[in-house]
Amino acid sequence: MNTEKSLFHHTSIPFAVIDQEKSFVDFSKQWLNTFGLDASIIGQNFFDSMPELPEELKLDINYCLEGIKHRSDSKRIVQENGNAVWYDWKVSLLNDDQNIAPNALIILEDVTHKRREEHLLEKSQQVARIGGWEIDLIKNTIYWSNMTKEIHEVPREYVPQLETGISFYKEGYSRDTITQLVNEGIELGNKWDTELQIVTAKGNILWVRAIGEPEMLNGKCVRIVGTFQDIDKRKKAQLQLLNTEESLKGTLENSSIGMALVARNGKFMDVNTSLCNSLGYTKDKLLSLTFQDITHPEDLEIDLRLLSELIKGKRSTYQIEKRYFNKDQQLVYVILTVTAARNIDGEISHFISQIVDISSRIKAEKKLKGLLELTTNQNNSLMNFAHIVSHNLRSHAANLTMISEFLTDESLDEDIRKDSLVMLGKASQGLNDTISHLNEVVQVKLETDQKLKSVQLRPLVHKVLVDIQALIEENKVIIDTDVPENIQVRGVMAYLESIILNLVTNAIKYKDLNKKTSLVSIKAVEKDETVVLSVSDNGLGIDLDKFGEKLFGMYKTFHGNEDARGIGLFITKNQIESMGGRITVSSQPGVGTTFEVTLLKNQQS
Amino acid sequence: MNSSDIAFIVDDDPIHQFGMKVLLKKVKFSNEVLVFHNGQEALDALIRLMDKGKKLPSIIFLDLNMPIKDGWGFLDDFVKIPHQNREKVVVYVVSSSINPSDQEKAKNYEVVSDYIIKPIDENQLTKVLEEMGLINSL
Repeated sequence: MNTEKSLFHHTSIPFAVIDQEKSFVDFSKQWLNTFGLDASIIGQNFFDSMPELPEELKLDINYCLEGIKHRSDSKRIVQENGNAVWYDWKVSLLNDDQNIAPNALIILEDVTHKRREEHLLEKSQQVARIGGWEIDLIKNTIYWSNMTKEIHEVPREYVPQLETGISFYKEGYSRDTITQLVNEGIELGNKWDTELQIVTAKGNILWVRAIGEPEMLNGKCVRIVGTFQDIDKRKKAQLQLLNTEESLKGTLENSSIGMALVARNGKFMDVNTSLCNSLGYTKDKLLSLTFQDITHPEDLEIDLRLLSELIKGKRSTYQIEKRYFNKDQQLVYVILTVTAARNIDGEISHFISQIVDISSRIKAEKKLKGLLELTTNQNNSLMNFAHIVSHNLRSHAANLTMISEFLTDESLDEDIRKDSLVMLGKASQGLNDTISHLNEVVQVKLETDQKLKSVQLRPLVHKVLVDIQALIEENKVIIDTDVPENIQVRGVMAYLESIILNLVTNAIKYKDLNKKTSLVSIKAVEKDETVVLSVSDNGLGIDLDKFGEKLFGMYKTFHGNEDARGIGLFITKNQIESMGGRITVSSQPGVGTTFEVTLLKNQQS
Repeated sequence: MNSSDIAFIVDDDPIHQFGMKVLLKKVKFSNEVLVFHNGQEALDALIRLMDKGKKLPSIIFLDLNMPIKDGWGFLDDFVKIPHQNREKVVVYVVSSSINPSDQEKAKNYEVVSDYIIKPIDENQLTKVLEEMGLINSL
């Protein structure tokens, strides 16, 4: 073999030469490589040596050996083992010498790989619904691929025009946009990649992705090549999602219920206006906090426990009533509902909290409770009152009836009738007293709304002691006072005087005759917002186990003392309570009694 | 009628005490009438009588609203007296209270025969005493 021939053999083209007998005369190395053969095939029969080949190739070889100059084709064959193989071939007549029967030159390439890619590309374009197009600005022609036509819903034979291409775009935004993009592409060579709507030949409105790439030559656009993709389904889904997201966001934002997205560590990720309003924080401030920061410590434990159950999947949601602190550290009462939100892997990504502010409800409830208490108190007073009327007034009335019958009963002795007259006087006096006591009680009740004024205690105590000096001396009682000069209470002067008078005279009245000296001590001390006035004695004392609850009732006396009217403490208590205070007693029979009156302190500015 | 029968009036109101005495005299209850100002005084008297082995009163007119020990307190202590000593004692509550709950409460004491609302009059008193055979009807 000469050099030339050797070089020829080393080309990357797989070729072979066969004679009239279809025996190998020559071949390139590439041929052997391609078909897995070795040099021993020389002189062998072509078809015997080669793998299965398309019938068309056999025919073309025969044609050429019979004198046809040139045949070429491309065919796919499914071999016995199931492999599909694409072959491209060129068969040429080698006729150097007219006298010798010609040989045939066969160039045979396995293009399966290349074909498959082309095939896949086409397929994928079909599946992805991507079409191609090209505008030649020099020839002023436009080309649409089949898919492009399909997307436009025009027949295969449709011939697009430069102007009509744009007129498929939906009037308005889409057409304006594409017009501008194409113009800019032609003038400036700008590429575009945009999503617009077209109206197909059948009138359907579709979303498409249009990509265009101008080719510039000497600053002038000569051609625009582009693709055209039907993205209607995706776009619509996307728009719908956007819509859903937006409406969800709108719901969240405009809800009158407080809503928050809370991270797993408790940090607020997003909050709506309603929640900001409830808590008094700005959105930015709230987003820098965790729910733990603003939860009442007593409510935190249960909240965290339920949250961990949520994380562990023991529950999918929970609802509790809890308290937050607002910006001003005031309590905000809420009903909290928490739901877990999961990411695409099903793991909890964050929590969705709904917070209903029930502060006003709780306030109303508390007010109602206060009202109920007040009503109950008033009801109790009324019961007491009813009892007084039914019992005390009735007893006088009964006496009067009985006595007046005696007066008219002539069968009775003159003495008895005389005594009866005396009794009649006593009975009517008793009735009078009771009525005036009732009046005092009613008076206190009527004046509860009277404005409270600042009253100095010390001069008041002094005045009372001067008033009853005679009584004190007569009973030889030692009075000890410890009332600081500047103590002021909020109250009604007349009530306070009556209260002190009552407590001190009681202490004197119930002194213990068995004791050498009778002591009464009057003290006043400030305690927080109040003033506690106490009157203690070393007198008889009261068995509180027996009489405790009746002590402040009307017409209750416990000592059988001559002067006991059973009215003083009842009125005292009413007066104290009408000034917002309270009275308590501690006592031990034989040791003494202490009354403690708690009054409102006058707040000095 | 037995001359050893006595009556207790337990009431702190002097007018009522006076009235009861007048009425008892008028219906010719000629036996002893003892007046006590509260439940404690009456109980003390009962205990003294028992200590001396004397007969307890046949009838007790008991007010409810009294200082120191009221009518209820008296009844609570009275029922603790051994039964054989008090089985012949009849208690009438005589009160000015028209409160139904007081009448209801009085009924719960077996020893209470009746509840009389003040003022008690001659006819009521006569009827009560006659039923007990403490006075003779005319």
